[in-house]
Amino acid sequence: MTPLLEVADLQVCFGGEVEALRGVSFTLEQGESLAVVGESGAGKSTLALCLAGLVQPPEAQGSVRVEGKELLGAAPDLLRALRWSTVALALQGAPFNPVTTVGAQVAEPLRERRGFGGGPARRRATALAEEVLLDPTLLDRYPHELSGGERRRAALAMVLALDPPLVVLDEPTAGLDPTTRNELVGRVRELADQRGFALVVISHDLPDAARLASRSMVLYAGEAMETGATSRVVSEAAHPYSWALVNAYPVMTTTRDLRPIRGRPPDPRAVPSGCPYHPRCTQAEPVCWEEHPALRSSRGRLVACHFGGLKLLLAAEAVTKTYRGRGPGRQDVVSALHGVSLELREGESVGIVGPSGSGKTTLARILTGHLSPDAGRITLEGTPLPTSWRGQARAVRRRIQLVMQDPWDALSPRLTVEELVREPLDVSKGGDGRADHRRSPAEAAVAEALDGVGLPASGPFLSARTHELSGGQLQRVALARALVAEPKVLVADEPTAMLDASEQARLMVVLRERQVEMGLGLVFVSHDVAVVRKVTDRIVVLDAGRVVEEGPSHLVSSTPVSVTTQRLIEAAPAFALEEAVPARAAVPEEDLPDGDL
Amino acid sequence: MRRGSWLVKAMSYLATVFLLVTLNFFLPRAMPGDPIDALLSRSSTEYIDNEDTRADLAEYYGLDRSLPVQYGRYLAGLVRGDLGVSIRTNAPVSDALLARLPWTLLLVGSATAVATAVGLIAGVHAGWRRARPVDRGLLALFLGLREFPTFLLGSLALFVFAVKLNWFPLAGARDRFAELSLIGQVNDVANHLVLPATVLAVGLAAGHYLVMRAGMVSELGADYLLLGRAKGLPERRLKYRYAARNALLPVVSLTAIQLGFAVTGAILVERVFAYPGIGRLLFDSIGARDYPVIQGCFLVTTIIVVSVNALADLLYRRLDPRTTG
Repeated sequence: MTPLLEVADLQVCFGGEVEALRGVSFTLEQGESLAVVGESGAGKSTLALCLAGLVQPPEAQGSVRVEGKELLGAAPDLLRALRWSTVALALQGAPFNPVTTVGAQVAEPLRERRGFGGGPARRRATALAEEVLLDPTLLDRYPHELSGGERRRAALAMVLALDPPLVVLDEPTAGLDPTTRNELVGRVRELADQRGFALVVISHDLPDAARLASRSMVLYAGEAMETGATSRVVSEAAHPYSWALVNAYPVMTTTRDLRPIRGRPPDPRAVPSGCPYHPRCTQAEPVCWEEHPALRSSRGRLVACHFGGLKLLLAAEAVTKTYRGRGPGRQDVVSALHGVSLELREGESVGIVGPSGSGKTTLARILTGHLSPDAGRITLEGTPLPTSWRGQARAVRRRIQLVMQDPWDALSPRLTVEELVREPLDVSKGGDGRADHRRSPAEAAVAEALDGVGLPASGPFLSARTHELSGGQLQRVALARALVAEPKVLVADEPTAMLDASEQARLMVVLRERQVEMGLGLVFVSHDVAVVRKVTDRIVVLDAGRVVEEGPSHLVSSTPVSVTTQRLIEAAPAFALEEAVPARAAVPEEDLPDGDL
Repeated sequence: MRRGSWLVKAMSYLATVFLLVTLNFFLPRAMPGDPIDALLSRSSTEYIDNEDTRADLAEYYGLDRSLPVQYGRYLAGLVRGDLGVSIRTNAPVSDALLARLPWTLLLVGSATAVATAVGLIAGVHAGWRRARPVDRGLLALFLGLREFPTFLLGSLALFVFAVKLNWFPLAGARDRFAELSLIGQVNDVANHLVLPATVLAVGLAAGHYLVMRAGMVSELGADYLLLGRAKGLPERRLKYRYAARNALLPVVSLTAIQLGFAVTGAILVERVFAYPGIGRLLFDSIGARDYPVIQGCFLVTTIIVVSVNALADLLYRRLDPRTTG
């Protein structure tokens, strides 16, 4: 059977230079729903227009088939016959003819296309208005007399007039207040279920799109970056762009701070070669600008990435470590870690929490290769993590760095700031630390690393020693020392435990920035859930060397399952000032000023 | 619309009329020469080289008084409905105006109607087919016609259609000497009207065409038009009920404003076709510095233009729902 909608290699180029769409393909069956998401300028609205045949050759190339009928290059009569009755497109911003009443425009398709008389058309329009929860008396008004939400509803009523099997909604909720938006999204979902129409939702609003459609397509520079089940695409995005897009949304289901996408959206007049996202991607390699990636199956969806999406940076499999009591005859065995597994992807941040003695620090040292596990494997960027420091191993181990709890302890008091930050570079090169001078590449790297963590990169600060700096500055020096070797993974063991609140906040901002810029994977070890949930995507809870709970940070920190987590959350700092804040009771509804006009 | 704003609107129209009446009074007097000079010109047979007679005449017509006094008398007369007496013909100004007004209304009215119809239809078609051959051709045609001097066009039309082809009469508004039935009279008036009205309409149509075309072009990219297309509506509905209906709004204002130009145009056309309207009366009166008649003609045109603008204001409110409420 032919699918309801079949789009194949759709390309749209305006004026011979603006590439709005660059080969989009997908199919939609009866009753299915698809969300098309992406930043402004990704080609979403152009795609919507194409689905109603409103962009035609020579601008549009490829194929758009509705019920098996080709829209591109179709005769005007066929297009008119298909529009609204088969494909109904609600345009962005819900435009209306300004000089005619809303009701007349809702009824217009019935009268013009179905030959309804004035009375029946009017009654049908009233019924439609009721169906979309629009006050039918508003039908006598002119478009400018309706609020934004009412216009969207009226547009929805209009779209449903001819009972189309395919409904395309372009930004159905943009510019609406959250309550109106929520009601509208809920109503659209119900109508789709009741009437059984297939739905294409174009939106830059990921949460709304996620509620409206079971499948999602992430569009970037006119190309599909990732398509698959919405639950997968939104909750565990595979493509670096989808991942960055999800992270940029303020939603109630994340406790992490917002992260912007680095760089700017591409100019549609000059889309980058190869993968269009490569200039903004943190994991790009030469193949990304040399070859164009095709959509390939990866992690249960289709991803257009040479690496199948976000790279797996660090994997620990069933890591076990046991300490034995020292001295002859002492046989008491302390099992520090028992079968701990962990995965960390590009740009991701995983928190490891647990009470003292739960094995957090042991895990941190094993992950960075400073301690060998008794059993289990650590894989860094696809290769087993060596424990030696010889030859090739040294270059591999540079890619993962450890920042420790106590910077006074970790940093040598005999070295200056510059020497401290520079040391990893000299060591990895095998020099003696005092070799070549005067703006060598190493010097530039030191300046960049200090600058990146918000410290002065020149002047007397470089020759300062550890005792002259504050704890926060020192910990940032430690961070710069870790980052100067351009690692891909950073393991931070209680990095903020010895800092005051302000310095702690600043360090976390620095970590977030570095993650956005470098795609750094972060393992954040702490006993403080309040801190961890702000910087991590997932939390792993350890107790007595075992993983007792694991999940997205917001879930673990709000609805903990294990007793260990519950205790940690109870102990986590909160401003408990019940008596100081007496009235947080809701204002009685009738006292509220009328919000709607 | 609230009552208060009606009042404000009415007051502003009244103020406009008062300002124009004042201008109408002072402007003719700013011209060199005066009515007595014109009446008693050296070249005329009535030339009298007698200062006393001059003074008597000036006193008779009240021209010996200072300007403010004359102005006050004029206003007082206006309030009583007295427009004064023509210095040139000694007939009451109101009689002369009443005899001429219907012809000018007929001429300007029919020319405006034709110009609006032609300009709108051409504008809608050209705008809808922007940059196509139809559009380019019409644009060149209308721009050319607009720049063509009215008197030249009038003379040309007279020469070709009245003199050479003898299709239409040469001059006047009707045949005074023929004894005709009612239908015959209507036919006669229409025959006399064709050439002057057409010549006047040609200049006006271009303005309507340009505004309508520009309006259509700017509506072409409007979202509601895209919506209409997405709704699968027929082209003619999109063209007329969607684009043209919205593009029409500025044309309504323009038509009212253009009426002033139409009256000015009528002066030239009435002169060329010896058409007995206000325009020709004004032309003759200016030559004679006949202040009361000039003022009367100005007053009539002022009232016509202002009231048509007020009418357009009302019509606009009905056409565009966004201007009410």
